[in-house]
Amino acid sequence: MKDTAILLEHVSKSYRLSHQPYSSLKGILLSMFRYRRRIEVHQALNDVSLTIRHGETVGLIGVNGSGKSTLLAIIARVIRPNAGRIEVNGRVAPLLQLGVGFHPDLTGLENVYFNGIILGLTRQQIAERLPSIVRFAELEEFIDTPVRAYSSGMVLRLGFAVAVHTDPEIILMDEVLAVGDEAFQHKCLRKIQEFQHEGRTILLVSHDMNQVRQVATRTVWLHQGRVMADGAPEEVVTQYLAFTEEMERRAI
Amino acid sequence: MWNELRELYRYRELLWTLVLRELRVRYKNSYLGFFWSLIVPLVTVAVLTIVFKRVMGMVIPNYSAYVLAAFLPWMYFQTALLDSSQSVLAQIQLVKKVYFPREVLPLAAVLANLIHFVLALLVFFVYLLGYVGAPLLPSVVLLPVLVFFQTLLIAGLSLIISCLNVFYEDTKYIVSIGLQLMFYLVPVIYFSEQVYHAQLASPEWQRWIYLVYHLNPIAMLMTAYRKILLPPITVQQIGAVQKQTFASLPMDWGLLAVACGVSVLIFVLGYAFFNKRKWDFAEQP
Repeated sequence: MKDTAILLEHVSKSYRLSHQPYSSLKGILLSMFRYRRRIEVHQALNDVSLTIRHGETVGLIGVNGSGKSTLLAIIARVIRPNAGRIEVNGRVAPLLQLGVGFHPDLTGLENVYFNGIILGLTRQQIAERLPSIVRFAELEEFIDTPVRAYSSGMVLRLGFAVAVHTDPEIILMDEVLAVGDEAFQHKCLRKIQEFQHEGRTILLVSHDMNQVRQVATRTVWLHQGRVMADGAPEEVVTQYLAFTEEMERRAI
Repeated sequence: MWNELRELYRYRELLWTLVLRELRVRYKNSYLGFFWSLIVPLVTVAVLTIVFKRVMGMVIPNYSAYVLAAFLPWMYFQTALLDSSQSVLAQIQLVKKVYFPREVLPLAAVLANLIHFVLALLVFFVYLLGYVGAPLLPSVVLLPVLVFFQTLLIAGLSLIISCLNVFYEDTKYIVSIGLQLMFYLVPVIYFSEQVYHAQLASPEWQRWIYLVYHLNPIAMLMTAYRKILLPPITVQQIGAVQKQTFASLPMDWGLLAVACGVSVLIFVLGYAFFNKRKWDFAEQP
């Protein structure tokens, strides 16, 4: 396998933001009578170049709207950049947010199959990994119950269990750990450490600086779609915190 | 296009899983389950039969069989389009996070309805042979051909509708109104022979009206379903003024070929349109 897991070269992405979104016929009709259409182009990513090697755990930090989620979406091939080149070597598994991809009327088991297949497993592979998935999610008694009856923690555990069993080379986590309880967060952190030992690549978007310091081997700070700093977590987090403090002081 | 189809083939297991999920979810919380798919057309056809025989004065032996032969394909067309119009939008959270060929969403809605349609057709045959006692025509072998081209037509329209509905949610309302109007422009409650003998039309126009009417592929397909499944029939309508008789017309193979060609074209264009826009779905706020 190549040494590089993810390669981004001069990647840019802009969204067209209209203040009067044309998501309805009424919107279109109304806009015809307006003097000027107010369409703004929001530059979500601006000439971002990054090389991430296999086995790295990269923490992505930055204020809201800095382009972290867009970056993950581009790596997950969900969004196509306007400019630049992107290369991803290895299977990517995004960790889904609470409840995404789950159907409330179906049982836990049926949802495991659906989730597994959408993340790229075959039925056969899911059947083989099923006992392990159920054990990890601690849902042995409830696996044949409709997900509607689950608590949010149970849904979260099941989603995480499926994702970590897809055997991905690259794992994308967008604030997914923020929701679980203490015990679940510990379990996830242990799993992340296990992945790190196995040499998998992890991209972690987080606002929890302690978590970033704890698990990341490298941290990238994005601001207004640009890479502000890239390096050791301790240094980058310190720079970032100094920056946000400065911002707060100016706001007051 | 070929690359997209190859990628779709790679994800066939996902497509199939989605189809099964649709089938499972639809009647999950109802006692009668799949039977609802049969009860709806049967009740509708029963009501139509009573109204058209008793009130409108249509004199046709086994009218209900003729209505059913066109109503089942119509139900397939209608429910598949309505289901698929919401298919991408309903899964937008997933679309924003996970890579997969987006067309699996509308196509799964179409295929789930195809399965319902095939099951309903089996019940139709039981009804035909058991209750009506009509003999099976040799032309029944053409049934899979009609189902195939109808499915292509529906799939093409579904791809366009589901895509547009992501950007403009008015689409689903327009589709729903369009389907209601379309119901009167296809031969379900009446016969294409009556179109040929349309009131007000002078004889030289009859052929043209019939032709234009059947340029609508779904109308032609439904005329074709009737003609291959059931024996030709003479329609008599006892009106207020006079009694009218409409002799059966033979199948127009040329028009059927046009309908099949249009269906293929709509599929190709619909898929091309969907592919052009499908990577913008995740950017919708």
